[in-house]
Amino acid sequence: MDNLGVFLQIIFWGLYAGCIYILLATGLNLIFGVMKIVNFAHGEFLMIGAYITATIFFLTGINPYLIILLSMLALIGIGALVERICFRPILGTGKLNEIFLSIGLIYIFQNGAALIWTDNWQSVKSPYDGITLPIGSLNVPLDYILIMVFTAAIICGLYLFLKKTRTGMQMRATSQNRKGAMLVGIDVERIDVISFGLGCALAAAAGTLWIVSGQIFNPYMGSIPAVKAFAIIILGGLGSIPGAIIGGLLMGLAENGAAFLLGGIWKDAISFVILIIVLVVRPTGLFGEKGE
Amino acid sequence: MDHWQDKTAKYGIIATFAFAGALPFLTESMFILNLLVLMLIFIIFASAWNLLAYSGQGSLGHAAFFGIGAYASTIIAAKSGMSPFITIFLGAAFAALIGILIGLTCVRLKEWFLAMVTFGFAIIVQTLTVSVLTPVTGGWDGIASSRLLSPSIPGYQLIEYYAVLIITIASIAAIWYIMKSRIGLAFLAIRENELEARAAGIDPVRYRLLAFALSAYIAGVAGALQIHHIGYLTPELYGVDNSFWPITYVILGGLGTLAGPIVGTIVLTIIWEGLKATGLTFGRYVIVGVILILAIIFLPRGLVSLPDKVHEWLKRRRRKEPLQKPADD
Repeated sequence: MDNLGVFLQIIFWGLYAGCIYILLATGLNLIFGVMKIVNFAHGEFLMIGAYITATIFFLTGINPYLIILLSMLALIGIGALVERICFRPILGTGKLNEIFLSIGLIYIFQNGAALIWTDNWQSVKSPYDGITLPIGSLNVPLDYILIMVFTAAIICGLYLFLKKTRTGMQMRATSQNRKGAMLVGIDVERIDVISFGLGCALAAAAGTLWIVSGQIFNPYMGSIPAVKAFAIIILGGLGSIPGAIIGGLLMGLAENGAAFLLGGIWKDAISFVILIIVLVVRPTGLFGEKGE
Repeated sequence: MDHWQDKTAKYGIIATFAFAGALPFLTESMFILNLLVLMLIFIIFASAWNLLAYSGQGSLGHAAFFGIGAYASTIIAAKSGMSPFITIFLGAAFAALIGILIGLTCVRLKEWFLAMVTFGFAIIVQTLTVSVLTPVTGGWDGIASSRLLSPSIPGYQLIEYYAVLIITIASIAAIWYIMKSRIGLAFLAIRENELEARAAGIDPVRYRLLAFALSAYIAGVAGALQIHHIGYLTPELYGVDNSFWPITYVILGGLGTLAGPIVGTIVLTIIWEGLKATGLTFGRYVIVGVILILAIIFLPRGLVSLPDKVHEWLKRRRRKEPLQKPADD
């Protein structure tokens, strides 16, 4: 393949990986914006979402792209439960506590999943496996295109929800000023539950899209993407959804570029190298506010 | 912490170590002895993590220092032929050096960012170990590490146990001394209120770096000890598990206290091995996760605060006083 072909290939891989990161980072940002907490166990929701999709697919054989909605719904419920049982009692007791609590959640979800589904690598076969579309000199798998379309649709849906619905407006109000929102009669605890659930649903979407593209998965699949999603929101600015989208795309591109230039082993480490360099220069992140 | 509590903790720790010294006379089992050695090593490791947390910095990547200490000590021992008992401290010094380097990027960062950077740092170190540094480190296959004592020495396991016990006691004593000294006070001041600490003439950057160096050094000692005890090391050492265990131990025992890491490590090790006996594999981790979350929600100051809580509760019952808001900070 010529140089241009390789270059396009990397770009495409980057965009595809970027979609997963965008969904994860947007979910994290949604939760952070409203509750001002950081859930390091967010990747575990991606994993649970992936397993729910896979289980339904193995049982019924429905097109996995359709199961994404069921998986997201299930994760809204699981997320709401986790928020209610674990995070609400420790809200406001310090940021370190949230980090430690996430570690407990990681233990529970990863190993709970291993108990239910074993820790073997599994995979789901997409119904569009092997179908490619010619774009320029490149043959792009249809699955990749579908994943990008789904990501765009989900993000647009979220945007409309936040802008147009009453609950969405209440969420934005709470994230701007929690006390003010309480004063005007918004039930902020209800908003907390909804935001957490929605964030988890986005993670479930990411997990589903990850596995339908033919990636193998096991209960430990979520940790690294989630930590990278953190790196993205730190780079893109805590609480900023456009920042998460741009950061996600850039991270996907940087990672795949680095994997090509330095070897696949650097794929995970490179995001942290970027993160550390950025934080050395700007301790509050690229677009972070001075206050925090 | 009031005076009464301080004393209880001190005597409790001394009693625990005295008991640990007597244990080999109570059991013949080499399995238990081996378990105890690993437990002591994790007490050192958890205490090292706790020291950093004492200065307000929660690291999610302490496995990096554990592993660097282990690799450096092994490689120095192999190249120079020195006894592991010397190289342990040289390897740890290397870990401290790296600790200062990573500390330099972290000193200006707040909780989440610091957690992220330390987590990522462990991954970067692992990646380096299995890529560029493969000629020295053996890549994913790992390398053999010289044993603390040659198995040909009669009763070597017993001697090794006491050697590790002495190093553990020395580490805890050193940490106690640091916590009580002006340095420890400065750590506390920075953790509680950085602005006021600065106003009192404490340079937060210098003390944060010092905390990183000290914590990395002690973690490096623990890592080197473990690897020379086992006799083999692989990059798995840098894994997330090794970063999360000390946190779990400390949170359960009591964050920021001298006795916390010791209590937490002992209690969790007993639970862990007990669950192992029942044949649980993944279930053990689920239970540990549940215990951790319950401790964070219901016992935020850890097991070491349990006697106090019971005391308080009994007093209230006796006086039939109305429920008071606990004086947590």
